[in-house]
Amino acid sequence: MKTYLAQRLVVALLTLLGMSAVIFALLRLAPGDIVDILFSTAGYVSPAEKQAIMKELGIDHPYWVHYLDWLRQIAVVDLGMSYRYDLLAWQLIKPLVPVTLELAALSILFAVLIGVPSGVVSAVRQDTALDYALRVFSLAGLSMPAFWLGMVIILGLVTWFAWIPPLSYVSPTENFKLHAVQFLLPALAVGYRSSALIMRITRSSLLEVMREDYIRTAWAKGQTGRVVIWRHALKNAMLPVVTIIGIEFAFLIGGLVVTETVFNLPGVARFLVQAILWRDYPVVQNLVMFIAIVVILSNLLVDMLYGVLDPRVRYGG
Amino acid sequence: MSRARIAPFPALLIAFVVGAGLISPAASQTASAPTPKSGGVLNMMLREDLSQGFAIHETSTISTVWPAMPCFNNLVLFDPLKKTESVETIIGELAEKWSWQDNFRNLVFFLRKNVKWHDGQPFTSKDVKFTFDMLREAPDAPAKLRINPRKDWYANIEAIEAADPHTAVFRLKKPQPSLLLMLASGYTPIYAAHVPPATYRTACVGTGPFKVKEWRKGEFIEMVRNPDYFVKGRPYLDGLKYFVIVERGTRQAAIQAGKLDASFPGETTKTAAEQLKKAVPQLVITPFSQNVSDNIIMNVKKPPFDNPKVRLAVSHAIDRRALIQAVHQGGAVVGAASAPKPLGFWGLSEKDLMGLPGYAARPADEKALAKKLMGEVGFSPEKPLRVEIVTRAIAVYVDMASFVINELKQIGIDASLKQIETAQWHAMATRGDYQIGANLTGIGPDDPDANLYENYACGSPRNYSQYCSEEVMKMIDAQSQELDPKKRLTLNYAIQRKLEADAARPILDWKLDYFTVWPHVKNLIPHQSIYNFGRMQEVWSDK
Repeated sequence: MKTYLAQRLVVALLTLLGMSAVIFALLRLAPGDIVDILFSTAGYVSPAEKQAIMKELGIDHPYWVHYLDWLRQIAVVDLGMSYRYDLLAWQLIKPLVPVTLELAALSILFAVLIGVPSGVVSAVRQDTALDYALRVFSLAGLSMPAFWLGMVIILGLVTWFAWIPPLSYVSPTENFKLHAVQFLLPALAVGYRSSALIMRITRSSLLEVMREDYIRTAWAKGQTGRVVIWRHALKNAMLPVVTIIGIEFAFLIGGLVVTETVFNLPGVARFLVQAILWRDYPVVQNLVMFIAIVVILSNLLVDMLYGVLDPRVRYGG
Repeated sequence: MSRARIAPFPALLIAFVVGAGLISPAASQTASAPTPKSGGVLNMMLREDLSQGFAIHETSTISTVWPAMPCFNNLVLFDPLKKTESVETIIGELAEKWSWQDNFRNLVFFLRKNVKWHDGQPFTSKDVKFTFDMLREAPDAPAKLRINPRKDWYANIEAIEAADPHTAVFRLKKPQPSLLLMLASGYTPIYAAHVPPATYRTACVGTGPFKVKEWRKGEFIEMVRNPDYFVKGRPYLDGLKYFVIVERGTRQAAIQAGKLDASFPGETTKTAAEQLKKAVPQLVITPFSQNVSDNIIMNVKKPPFDNPKVRLAVSHAIDRRALIQAVHQGGAVVGAASAPKPLGFWGLSEKDLMGLPGYAARPADEKALAKKLMGEVGFSPEKPLRVEIVTRAIAVYVDMASFVINELKQIGIDASLKQIETAQWHAMATRGDYQIGANLTGIGPDDPDANLYENYACGSPRNYSQYCSEEVMKMIDAQSQELDPKKRLTLNYAIQRKLEADAARPILDWKLDYFTVWPHVKNLIPHQSIYNFGRMQEVWSDK
């Protein structure tokens, strides 16, 4: 197990190194830089002044110098200064992380709570009216973009109740009820889509497992439906479901842009888009690296869970 | 002191907006509301976070000016309670009074005493000298701005003297009565001499009615009443909160739900205003000029637009009235280089525009003329001129550019659209790396000096078409120095006609905003420029 973890750690570090190069290069491929944006807000450009500002911000060096500087900063856990805000990038990123993690976790929780039971019911009641209804429900979830659903929720609330969620972040210690409402609505909008995916995977995986010999044996032994389905079948059908949950969680960390924007939640994804528009490289690079780390960690966690769910899975050869 | 007459807001426009159901009776009562009450916090919206903090002098965007204005004061300001700005509506802020001397060559400001900066330091004439020496980049200026977009506004200032702690004298190279109007703009706050200008990018040390309490990046800016404000009993409000809401639909929902008390200047289109009014009939909606025009920039240094005939053909081809209906759903008006009456003060009225390229009553006649001009230079719909029309990759630009492309196609110009990212737009336009473009131009104060020197003067970095006419420059200088307001107005009419006749930068329309507030918001009165009414000193809440 230890060897396996060490191997995974090395692979993760190499992946992150590769990611850093890709992020760095892709960012520089986009036209313009922070100084162009600053001049854009002023409505003119002066090449001489531009040069001076580039020097002031330290972006007048060759790209490779910037890249090495960034790697060095990461190594000493210094994320550099935001070009736009003239503040430590870490100061800007720190408050965003819990918002996005909470929203992603709540969304996944909703998705699992809705997706797994409905997938099981759909599989057990295959080809019944209930199965069809659940499949339509899940197809609708897959077809409906979360941002659209989010906007519908906002418009519904404002039209029928003349109310919308708070416009700025409310911490749980400040007002727990308002905090919960602020997160529940976007989590439902996002979770619905994820639940549809989980439901479909649960259903197909369970249907496959239900045709296995050991399930037939369990039925033959006279075990109750509850025991057969929940203890024997579902546990073995969960491997692909857990994989999807992991992928969805990782995707949500960076993929909540529109939901955070529609619900005006100050999270990582919304801030990331603004930082990209401003070519605020220190913020963008480090936020994308943060997302990459979450993706790698959630993959690792999923791999660990395989062993828990299926004792036949062994680590480290 | 020079005096210009204030154009009355015509009954016709009021009748139009009332008829359209967009203005409620409360709107016209706002200025004469009952006794103001103190207290309350006003919640407002921002489309994006502050771009350069509170450093108004380093930016031109309303996204900075609007939320930063309450922190500062100017020497003088356009009266926040009067909707049409002119030299007659200018009131003192940090200057108690002022006096033109030596035939408009010296402008003396007598400053208020006992004014304190938010950090407790006293305000003196040194701060005035510091600010304007920095802005005009005087050789001995003690500080330099990183970006200085309005340096040209102060090119005529020869020296600034701090005669005593409460007197500041502006010595001008030549008479320039309109300098006072530029000083009255929201773009012209006084900075503290003891605070490095870079500090304003992250914090705000002003003398204004509100102090910054918290700026949570990307989320909100919270301001609280300045208890030491030099105007006793002001501000009325206890605080202001500006929420950054990037999504337009959410902004509209927030105002509809009453989470926000007022819209953002330049934010509300006619269609959005109609939707809001339908949903919440008590909302007070006031149409006003944004002082922003849609226009065509043609690079006069590059073929084929170095040929005046081609430029004129483009101007003739575009049906302005159809554009206003199609792109703005009627939420704009036609006009030349200055915002037209009655929305602005200096612009040509629609009647005056009739003889100019592109403004004829029958668009077909204009198109025929445009085809004839194109024919004379060898192009026709069958043998079209192929060009790339550039525009900024923002919906308001692209919508207008798409309409223009269709118009040009009809006269033998086959234009393809090239969208330029915001990061590249101004650099490209300033360098002149384009042939023809669809552009938007916002103007700070509704005054010809601010507009003409910036957009039409030879060598100005914002003169994107690089149009340069000695004759026009003489006319611009002449109007700037003209002391008689009537003569100055006449000169400006002549300049506008000349610019349109030369197709220097054909103006397509002037956009309207439908500023929206809840009825309890009093004294927040939109002016004819979005950049000048954000001080919030007189605003109160009748909640």
